[in-house]
Amino acid sequence: MKIIEYLSRLDRRIIYLVLATVVMVPLVIPTVPRVRVMTPVEKLFNAVEAIPNDQILMLDFDYDPQTLPEIEPMGVAMLRHAFHRRTKVAVLSLYVQPLGLAKKALDQVTEEFNSRATSYEDSIIYGRDYVFLGWQPPPIVPLLGMGISIVDVYQRDYYGYRTDSLPMMQRVKNFNDVGILVSLSGATAPLWWIAYSQTRFGVAVGAGITAVSASEFYQYYQTGQFSGLMIGMKGAAEYEEMVQSRLSITSRRKASEALGSLTAAHLTMIAFIVVGNIGYFIRKRKEKGVQR
Amino acid sequence: MKRRFPLLLVFFFGLLGIIPYFVPHGGYQDFDNALRNDFIRILSAFAIILGLVSLLRVHQDKIKRKRENWQYSYVLIIGFVVSGAIGLFGGIEGELFLPTKIAGFQFDIQTLYLNIIVPLGATMFALLAFFMASASYRAFRARSLESSLLLSAAFIIMIGVLPLADSISSHLPSFAQWIMDIPNVAAKRGITFGIALGGIATSLKIILGIERSWLGGKE
Amino acid sequence: MIYILFSGIFALAPPTGVKAYDTPNDRGDAITVEWLLSPDDNMIEGYEIYRSEKGKEYELVGFIGAGRTTYEDQTETGTEYTYKVAALYDSERSYSEPSPVARSEPQWFDKESVNLLIGVIVFCLIILYFIDQARRGKRLQIRKISGLDAVDEAVGRATEMGRPILYSMGIGLVDYIATIASFNILGEIAKKTGQYETPLIVPTSNPVVYTVAREIVKESYSTIGRPDLFDTDKVYFVTDSQFAYAAAVDGVMLREKPAANFFIGYFKAESLIMAETGASTGAIQIAGTDQITQLPFFVTACDFTLIGEELYAASAYISKEPLLLGAIKGEDLGKIVILSVLVVASLVGLLTKFPVLNIFR
Repeated sequence: MKIIEYLSRLDRRIIYLVLATVVMVPLVIPTVPRVRVMTPVEKLFNAVEAIPNDQILMLDFDYDPQTLPEIEPMGVAMLRHAFHRRTKVAVLSLYVQPLGLAKKALDQVTEEFNSRATSYEDSIIYGRDYVFLGWQPPPIVPLLGMGISIVDVYQRDYYGYRTDSLPMMQRVKNFNDVGILVSLSGATAPLWWIAYSQTRFGVAVGAGITAVSASEFYQYYQTGQFSGLMIGMKGAAEYEEMVQSRLSITSRRKASEALGSLTAAHLTMIAFIVVGNIGYFIRKRKEKGVQR
Repeated sequence: MKRRFPLLLVFFFGLLGIIPYFVPHGGYQDFDNALRNDFIRILSAFAIILGLVSLLRVHQDKIKRKRENWQYSYVLIIGFVVSGAIGLFGGIEGELFLPTKIAGFQFDIQTLYLNIIVPLGATMFALLAFFMASASYRAFRARSLESSLLLSAAFIIMIGVLPLADSISSHLPSFAQWIMDIPNVAAKRGITFGIALGGIATSLKIILGIERSWLGGKE
Repeated sequence: MIYILFSGIFALAPPTGVKAYDTPNDRGDAITVEWLLSPDDNMIEGYEIYRSEKGKEYELVGFIGAGRTTYEDQTETGTEYTYKVAALYDSERSYSEPSPVARSEPQWFDKESVNLLIGVIVFCLIILYFIDQARRGKRLQIRKISGLDAVDEAVGRATEMGRPILYSMGIGLVDYIATIASFNILGEIAKKTGQYETPLIVPTSNPVVYTVAREIVKESYSTIGRPDLFDTDKVYFVTDSQFAYAAAVDGVMLREKPAANFFIGYFKAESLIMAETGASTGAIQIAGTDQITQLPFFVTACDFTLIGEELYAASAYISKEPLLLGAIKGEDLGKIVILSVLVVASLVGLLTKFPVLNIFR
């Protein structure tokens, strides 16, 4: 009894120490657990799977360094998916800060594919298989402008090439040629794509978001405005799981590896809350006893 | 008059702000854009000067009166002057005339940003997990029927999103998803609805000058 | 080879019935082009849209995929144009007949927003009616909001303990409704703290918000006849960087140990970082925001939380100003009216075939 009472009145610093330990240990020894894929992610995967040959996947990288661990694995998994089935990809950011992070993910995945490629046809080639449109402020310009013409909004790409000179952009005019647009963001960018680009031009939108902001996005998923959703580390891991099980791509799965930490942290917090409640009930019973 | 003039201004610009939603005419839209973008930018530029003066004054005063932890105020003032100088005269990636590289040590704004601001921001964000742990440990008590319900919903979600949920019961992840999809969205819609209408009412009260707490209230 | 043979004998059918007209309800820089699908629509790649400015050559202005029958072209206001649409199959083009002349004109009223305008007017009229009732002296009651009843307690405790009060408005810009509501509450709280001479610390995260907050505190002190209490160094600007601001507010809470913390306005992920630090100092904490994702954090870490519209109603509640109370009464009735319309419309939409949803478009 004494122990429980002690545990129910722990100092904050002890809780912090325990939490830090249980989060760190699984990261040192990474393992990939079996992941069950939920409907929102499955829908997103299938939406990408259904992109016809003459349409592209548009990826909006809009996360910042704070939310990188949760969201970057989503971007990487989606790029692997698209490159594997040879869907052409256009990448952009609405803000300047995520540009460097987008380039990092692009470089990583193209390198993965090209190191295994045996021929030019087999490789992932800039301009033919993907373009990096870069950043065009203010956000409202690409949100609305790309409904009319993508190359007019982004006249030069991230590297300074004229976009209308890139082979892939010869067939890609505007949102009509975009199979689905997926916005990866730690903030509200996915809602803007719905408010502006989807209402105006009918483009399909999917999103990858942080777990903490999930409840803000659910209602738009429920109404079908989002074709699919990836939520937090778990959502990223589910997409990784689909990429591995359905396409047999066996690259490193960073989000899935982090699930050990996530599980440990959740279980620790549940344990703390349970102990806290038991202590609370014991105290309450005692107080009642005293009153009698 | 001292009270009436600001109220008149608010009334006038408040109405001006509503009109563009109903008048698509190009001329008016351009006027509205100028008002929203250019005017606000100019206002912000002046406000930044006022803000910085205020910040520096507070810290100067702290140093002068040797208040608690006054030494840190030097860090702020030096940081402000140094980063301001590097940004203004060295450029974002060291493209201006102030040298931003000494013997392999780079200190242009981009480098400072990536190596100081980014990790500091990430650290603060990570702290959130610890605060969540201590807050939930302290506050999540099954005090009443409502809080017990909340607590059980929280447990189901927390376990339901874990990979091991499947091995407990195959229905658990779907149930967690259902809670997020249906009750969560219903509650959220209700609050959103209230917020939207409350927003209209608040704006109306301010435009009409009924709400004037921002002017220090009624005389 | 097969293709050459094929194209030799095959004549691509053009789209027909091309119409061009001024795009309705716009700023006057677009013409909508409409056509009937080419009979070969199922095999072509799409349609190219060509435009001619009175008497000049036709030039390509747009392309749209097969199966589509409209295109919105960006034009000069007031210039006359004619259009042709071509079906495109590889490099084969089959042109339609030219459209009649069209000209884009700006519109002064957006007819598609009539429903919105009516809704807003009805809602505002209801509120105005109740404000008028309040003006005529009718007594109005609103429900108890315990978070706001606690304001007096918080100020009282700070006075007893001789400690300051902290008021944070979060990271919102000056035009966010949450920030505006927060300004109103700040005015009321400044008056209360002024009466007891309790110091009020207001760190802000936006220069414009800072200037307004400073004026509000100053005005409130003047209103209660104590302009001498205003200290420029108590209302100050910190930084517009989200987490740096949170760190600064945490620092104030740990150093100055305020007896009460108010977190009222627009908050994002920094909400719990500030509220939990405040909880560890043992202060009374009152929070209020319309950011739904942050509400759970405030509810767990603070003593009282104003949820959504309670925040907007707060200044009326604290000041007990009859006109403001009237506005809240009107708001509630307006809500009932709109909700009833939604319920009835949903039922009609579900049970009959009447196109009731169009009313809300």
